[in-house]
Amino acid sequence: MFKLILKSSLSSLSIRKGRTALVIVMIAISLWGLMVMQGVYEGMVEQMISNAIRSDSGELSIFKSRFREEKSIELYIHTEKAIEEYLERVENIRSYSKKISIMGVVSSARYSRNIYIHGVNLQQESEHSQLQNYLIDGDFSFGQRERGAILGYNLAKKLKIEVGKKVVVSTQDSYGDITSIKLKVMGILKTNNMTFDDSGIFMSLEKAKKFLSLNGVTQFSINLEDFSRVDELKKDVKSKFQNLELYDWRELYPALIQSREMMVIFNYISYLIVFIIASIGVFGVMLVSIMERLREFAILRAIGTKFSYIFYMIFFESLLMGLSGFIVGSVLGGGTLYYFSIYGLDLTQFSDALSEFGMDAITFATIKVEYFITAFISVFSATLLSLVGPLRFLRKRTPIEVING
Amino acid sequence: MDSFLRVQSVSKIFNRGEAGESFGLKDINLQINKGEFIVISGPSGSGKTTLLNLIGGLDSISSGKIIFNGIDISSLNETELSDLRRDKIGFVFQAYNLISLFSARENIEYVMKLRGFSQNECDMRVDEVARKLGIVKLLDKLPANLSGGEQQRVAVARAVASKPELILADEPTANLDSRSALELMDMMERLNREEGITVIFSSHDPMVIDKAKRSIILKDGHSLIDSF
Ligand SMILES: Nc1ncnc2c1ncn2[C@@H]1O[C@H](COP(=O)(O)OP(=O)(O)OP(=O)(O)O)[C@@H](O)[C@H]1O
Ligand SMILES: [Mg+2]
Repeated sequence: MFKLILKSSLSSLSIRKGRTALVIVMIAISLWGLMVMQGVYEGMVEQMISNAIRSDSGELSIFKSRFREEKSIELYIHTEKAIEEYLERVENIRSYSKKISIMGVVSSARYSRNIYIHGVNLQQESEHSQLQNYLIDGDFSFGQRERGAILGYNLAKKLKIEVGKKVVVSTQDSYGDITSIKLKVMGILKTNNMTFDDSGIFMSLEKAKKFLSLNGVTQFSINLEDFSRVDELKKDVKSKFQNLELYDWRELYPALIQSREMMVIFNYISYLIVFIIASIGVFGVMLVSIMERLREFAILRAIGTKFSYIFYMIFFESLLMGLSGFIVGSVLGGGTLYYFSIYGLDLTQFSDALSEFGMDAITFATIKVEYFITAFISVFSATLLSLVGPLRFLRKRTPIEVING
Repeated sequence: MDSFLRVQSVSKIFNRGEAGESFGLKDINLQINKGEFIVISGPSGSGKTTLLNLIGGLDSISSGKIIFNGIDISSLNETELSDLRRDKIGFVFQAYNLISLFSARENIEYVMKLRGFSQNECDMRVDEVARKLGIVKLLDKLPANLSGGEQQRVAVARAVASKPELILADEPTANLDSRSALELMDMMERLNREEGITVIFSSHDPMVIDKAKRSIILKDGHSLIDSF
């Protein structure tokens, strides 16, 4: 019996080959496009988040209280050594780096600009943030006498300066006196984190301490083994040290969290679109298919076919159509995303615009089982929904009504 | 002993209590024995279709009783009626009886499949009835590729294939030319004789009516003549 039911569904589809194919293609293409957009979008957001975390804050940052609002050098962390010893001991800490970040001015021969000076330990950074991976020109080094600097690529461009040239960096030291230092440009970085690319200068932490007459750092940036236990760590640090503020990346980059939330909304809308397209397409074909066979279904019921069998004939027919669309769309979408997840999607043409938003020119798409599950659910439910009306209509007409005209 | 089929004071009123209220059948009484070959005739609108539909459990009785195999069919619910039709009754309608997507063979074995016959049983039985009805060569064709007479023969084959106790055929020959009509009646008569299936059919074609052994004539919903 099952074979006959399936045969009925299949033959009915094959009779309406053209329209069936059209619906399958409609579902497949919409699914394909939206799935790729979703994967690329999610890839972008995840990359933005990872850039922000890596280049700056880590997953958790420690500052002196009020430093984030006032950015004043007086608000440095006095207990640098003690915190370092503490961080070395805590198990949940994967890596950390300490740094001084302070506003200042940089001048080349012809131009000057407001900047952030970042005193860092390159050794620590290369483990903690893999800052060296962002290097696009020169060396990842401050030179032998630590008198070098690494600049954000946009800053270098604006200063019209290149590797090997000298710049003068000026700021207020911890006594409030103006102080300057001449540094040789050793390397250029492109992090896609705007603050660094547009106005960041990295210099040696030890040099910066001397230059600023500062006996400490302004920030610890930390990555955890298990981020879900971040609150536990925050509490512990606060209980052991006074006058510190701790922020995890979610608090530091609310905009990134927002883009994640936007993405969720975007995904819902995507699948709503797939749902609507599939509903309309399947409904159109099934309505015709059922209307054309009203008399046949009536005869089947008259000779003793249960309505459930007729439901299955119709249901399988629409399901085959919906599923084919889903499968074709998923294969195309999944394949495309897989390609972009390995080779990346090259958006070099838009790279300037993108890096304004902290995005990389090459985006690596994400690909998740969820995409397929959500797609399946929306196609499947669309298929079911589109049958409700026609089936109701069919159910209401008694066989003799139809047979006797 | 209970007779095979008893129609007791059956009336059918359409659109009862509404503007278009009309009698389909008025106080019909019939007693039909197993193995009979009966025609119901009468002018158009006399109630032939209505009577066959009531016997087949396709429509509800307004008053009276129909007892089939000792069961009052008006007491059955929709599922039970559906099962009764599947298991005990074969239907042949005036035209377009067949499922256009199924081949003749699939159409014939359909009711057997519904009843859970094995593929082997189906094959054997399909071949048997196809031989009796002279449609062996047509088994793999789709209904659209068959003539009207061939389609009706396939419909009769489907009706008898699952060996029902009763065949109800409402004007099975109305859309056929007289030669095909007589051929179809001969075959139905033969099946009635050889397989012992009770057949009730309707017609207003005198040549077809002649084939029956018993004739019931309806007029305006009344049974006028019941002749053996
Ligand atoms: N669904 C219905 N609603 C209202 N009246 C109906 C309905 N079906 C049949 N009738 C009426 O009942 C009467 C008997 O109809 P029926 O179809 O049984 O006649 P018939 O003998 O089969 O006619 P024909 O030879 O034209 O097929 C007619 O007066 C018809 O108008
Ligand atoms: Mg009639």
